[in-house]
Amino acid sequence: MNHFGAPPILIDGLTVAYGDHRVLDELSLHVPAGSITALLGGNGAGKSTTLATLLGFVRAQAGTVLVSDVDPGADPDGARRKIAYLPENVALYEHLTAVENADYLLALSDERKERGVITDALAAAGLQQRAWDQRLGGFSKGMRQKVAVAVALLREVPVLLLDEPTSGLDPRATADFNALVSAVRDRGTAVLMVTHDLLSAADVADRIGFLEAGRIVEEVEAVGAERFDVRALHARFAVGTERHAA
Amino acid sequence: MTLWTHELRLLIRARLTVVALALLAILAVASVAAGMAEVARQRAAIAAIPAAQAEDISAVADYVSRTKDAGSAAYYSFHPTWDSPSPLAFAALGMRDVSPYILRVRALGLEAQIYDGDTFNPELALPGRFDFAFVLVFLAPLFVIALFHDLVSGEREAGRLRSLTALPRGGAGLMRRRTLLRWALLWAALALPFAIGAAWSGVGASIILLILPLIAAYLLFWIGFAALIGRLRWSSVANAATLAACWLVLVLIGPTLANVAINRAVPISQGAEIALAQREQVNHAWDIPREETMRRFYANHPRWADSAPLGPEFHYKWYFAFHQNGDERVADEVRAYREGLKRREAAARSLSWVLPSVGVQTLLTRLADTDLTAQLAYQDRIRGFHERLREFYYGYLFSDRSFTREDFARAPTFKGSRVYRHHSAFLEAR
Repeated sequence: MNHFGAPPILIDGLTVAYGDHRVLDELSLHVPAGSITALLGGNGAGKSTTLATLLGFVRAQAGTVLVSDVDPGADPDGARRKIAYLPENVALYEHLTAVENADYLLALSDERKERGVITDALAAAGLQQRAWDQRLGGFSKGMRQKVAVAVALLREVPVLLLDEPTSGLDPRATADFNALVSAVRDRGTAVLMVTHDLLSAADVADRIGFLEAGRIVEEVEAVGAERFDVRALHARFAVGTERHAA
Repeated sequence: MTLWTHELRLLIRARLTVVALALLAILAVASVAAGMAEVARQRAAIAAIPAAQAEDISAVADYVSRTKDAGSAAYYSFHPTWDSPSPLAFAALGMRDVSPYILRVRALGLEAQIYDGDTFNPELALPGRFDFAFVLVFLAPLFVIALFHDLVSGEREAGRLRSLTALPRGGAGLMRRRTLLRWALLWAALALPFAIGAAWSGVGASIILLILPLIAAYLLFWIGFAALIGRLRWSSVANAATLAACWLVLVLIGPTLANVAINRAVPISQGAEIALAQREQVNHAWDIPREETMRRFYANHPRWADSAPLGPEFHYKWYFAFHQNGDERVADEVRAYREGLKRREAAARSLSWVLPSVGVQTLLTRLADTDLTAQLAYQDRIRGFHERLREFYYGYLFSDRSFTREDFARAPTFKGSRVYRHHSAFLEAR
């Protein structure tokens, strides 16, 4: 099957079940290149499972999942070559410096970059120069995230997956992070973020999908300078999470 | 920088790992040095034998030359036997620390002389001496546990496992690289001191090349065990505790219980009991008619039956005859004892298939000629030598020939040298 022109993230009719429990129920989602899609949903809505399926950690029972034309179920390593992934808690090696961490993670991604290129990326990610050669032991969460983002920037992959990227960040760090993600998007990367943080999603996403019980029940696109009606989004989000809790 | 050098850097930066590897290397070096010192001490003791023997025999000759009595010469002359350590003995001292490697024998009853010192120090019997085999069999698994108990669980607990697995070369391949690297470093910490000590001691290349993979295989067994426990997805602490318990069972409790079970299944008397039985036979001989003793002796050794009859006075040939009778009366017990020991050893060897610690220890002591088989072989050589001693002295005693100072030089001497299958040209060169 030729997927010429297909979006970097293509999910059609995806069903994932753990035993009798359907976590994803015929989920369909397309994330085009150069766009940011945010998936909003309460606990158990299927956000993390969606990312896990794209990364090849979870096999689909039905449906199609393609990451830049690679099926992660059949070729997880192939799919992972196309993906940069930022988990909720960026955990790096405390006894390596920021540059060494980036160097190591790039090596594990089958990529080699000169030190100058790495430090440029760290600078672009907002990490101050004096921190480049410091071990990560004393880094804040925001600083660690900047190292991880720098690696994502350096990898130049078509897909960026973000798992609750702004949880635990202060407002300024959140704004910095969102600016970085926008820069990545502008480079042509398809960004999919799953989050509880409605405001952050509204700030950076081009499209927001509401995930409930394993399927997207509503999608909203950013329009104009205002982008999203945050009050309406909040009301919608509250209804969804209450329904899920019930 | 390759992935391997990245992993090496990561490993070196982890202080506990470096400390563990350094400690293992220090223990290996210390064990090799201690083993070599012990072997050097034993060799020095053996080398000192000729001078001490010459002095001893000279004193006996001074005394005997007054009477020229062959019986006195046989009675007072001690003849040294020794079991030279093999080049590999430094690595596995085995029974050399609990069994004699020098035994001075007289032409008297042999069994009491052989088994007189056949008691074991219970404090040394379980772990043995601090030698390379001890470090490899008992201690190395603890270092494997230290380096491997959290190989995967540590990443999971640090929150890195998922993001590592999400990288193209960060999944199972990463863990394989880390396993291989740790395995290689542990192996090097053990193998390098051993190989240097072995080459210096003159161990043949073929034996060194056999033991180096043995070290790797034993480490691999424990690494596999750690991987198996790791698959249960428990916490690092639970993994470490489980592996430590397995170590306790496989290295200490299992072999000890197996030893107890084998000893119960194959009951044999202590060697000292044979010595006691032989002594009782000898002591009893003083209370029975001398003719009865000589009749029995001549029946078993007719070549001396033409000897002149005993007079009313004491004669050493009667004394030596009842000593030999005493040996022959306990011959069945000796045979049963040796057979029992061999059956126990065979049973212990079969345990190697289920207890790798026993297997490695058994193989090392076999290669080093420090096991029970080597000990029994030494006893066989003593027996052969003792037979020659008896023949020599009986030739004088039973024909009532006088024993001159020159005759001392005609006494048989023990040939201590053995041809070791792993004696290298290196030792000859030194």
